[in-house]
Amino acid sequence: MERLASIPGLPPILACAGLLATWEIAARLLAIDGLPPASAALAQVPAILGDPEALLNIAASLRRMAVGFALGVAFAVPIGLMMGRSQYVAAFFNPLLMIIYPVPKAALMPIIMLWLGVGDASKTLVIFLGVTLPVIYHSYQGARAVEERMLWSAAAMGMGPLARLTHIVLPAALPEILVGCRTGLVLALITMVTSEMITRQTGVGNILFNSLDMAQYDTVYAMIVIIGALGFALDAAFEVLRSRLVRWAEPSHDLVVGTT
Amino acid sequence: MTRSDRSVGALIGVIPIVLIIGIWQVIAASGIAPPSLLPPPAAVFARLVQQLGSPAYLDHVATTLFRLFAGFAIAVVIGVTIGIAATGSRAVEGVVRPLVRVLAPVPKIALYPAFILTLGFENASKIALVVADAAFPILLATHQGTSAVEPKLAWSARATGTSPLLCLVTVVLPAALPSVLTGCRIALVISCIVVFLAEMITSTDGLGHLLVRASRNFQTIDMFVPLITISLLGLLLNVGFNALRARLLAGFPEEP
Repeated sequence: MERLASIPGLPPILACAGLLATWEIAARLLAIDGLPPASAALAQVPAILGDPEALLNIAASLRRMAVGFALGVAFAVPIGLMMGRSQYVAAFFNPLLMIIYPVPKAALMPIIMLWLGVGDASKTLVIFLGVTLPVIYHSYQGARAVEERMLWSAAAMGMGPLARLTHIVLPAALPEILVGCRTGLVLALITMVTSEMITRQTGVGNILFNSLDMAQYDTVYAMIVIIGALGFALDAAFEVLRSRLVRWAEPSHDLVVGTT
Repeated sequence: MTRSDRSVGALIGVIPIVLIIGIWQVIAASGIAPPSLLPPPAAVFARLVQQLGSPAYLDHVATTLFRLFAGFAIAVVIGVTIGIAATGSRAVEGVVRPLVRVLAPVPKIALYPAFILTLGFENASKIALVVADAAFPILLATHQGTSAVEPKLAWSARATGTSPLLCLVTVVLPAALPSVLTGCRIALVISCIVVFLAEMITSTDGLGHLLVRASRNFQTIDMFVPLITISLLGLLLNVGFNALRARLLAGFPEEP
């Protein structure tokens, strides 16, 4: 057990194999239409990924997700850092953020579509909204924890407030900011899938429900596997990037959870 | 912060909220956006108050709340049990850790069609989705909290002859209560959001369904009202749970 667990990458693979085996056995035992065996669903994955239209849909979804995520981070990090360094900025934003926190962001989709139409702008905006809060929160916490003495020394050497923010607060808060970005990335994917499931026009969420309506249950499950694998792969890739960027900081949280 | 600082802080905090409602009012009143796109705030809040007095609307609220609390309660039981089992046994931890590592970043909402196919369109599939989303923060918080409990507490209990299982439940779990309750609070807000989204995707009742129905009929005011209701519910549950937490944790050392 110990020896197995020490090989990097092996435990998650074993976990996936275990999940698929459980699914296969449960499906064969229950034998209901709504739960095809794992092997049947996995057999559909190449068919979806080989279909140019489905692939274009998925690529378009991922592009919107990347744009929404990038805009969200670019917007949220400066606000979080300023909140962490000035108690007035923090007092200005905190009550507003507390009110926004329990709003289901993906549920804004029908209202935003009234204003911005059904195009990319609405979909990207919803993802942007889903990403910003955790990134603001973690940037805020990171900037608050910056060692005061470093800032005093920099000020004594004649560094201006803006330069202090970009040269000292930003790097010092980077590990915590990246924890927020990791949550934000998972949330971007969740918001994207959810909003597409609500509007049912294009993208991953649409393929999911179209095949459900047409009773192609194997495709439904294959799509679930693809989205699940996407979530895991994005998270794992970001974790690799994070540990490279902030190799000097000790690893903090090794797991994240979040929802829209 | 001193006392006067704090009241200044509260005043500053009101500014953006007033500003947003003010801009909303100006845009609605100036006619840049017709009421069919952006109804004035006063009309929305009047409609909200009117709906909160209507039994039919409260029925939908009750449906949503039932799904929310059923899912949340199951998630608490599952999350706390697995979390504490992973702390108590290395074998369980060896199984749970990689499973959570794989499943936590998966968008749980994608499982919703699978729940519909196996559990039907009614309450069960929505409750299952809430459980899938809410169990993870509780599980993680319980595991982290119970792992961080001072080992001397458990040793003392074990030395007086308490069985390992009883020691976990009566000593380690209460000592980890602050962390467990924080996980539960996060999970409660998540439940609130997820149940609403599930109702928007497929439902014939509940607050989420009301939003979708209003959007199909282009009744913009009625689109805002369920959204504000669910957000208020989330806010109230969050504040209420914090008060409960403070009461349960009276006597615990202050958290950093």
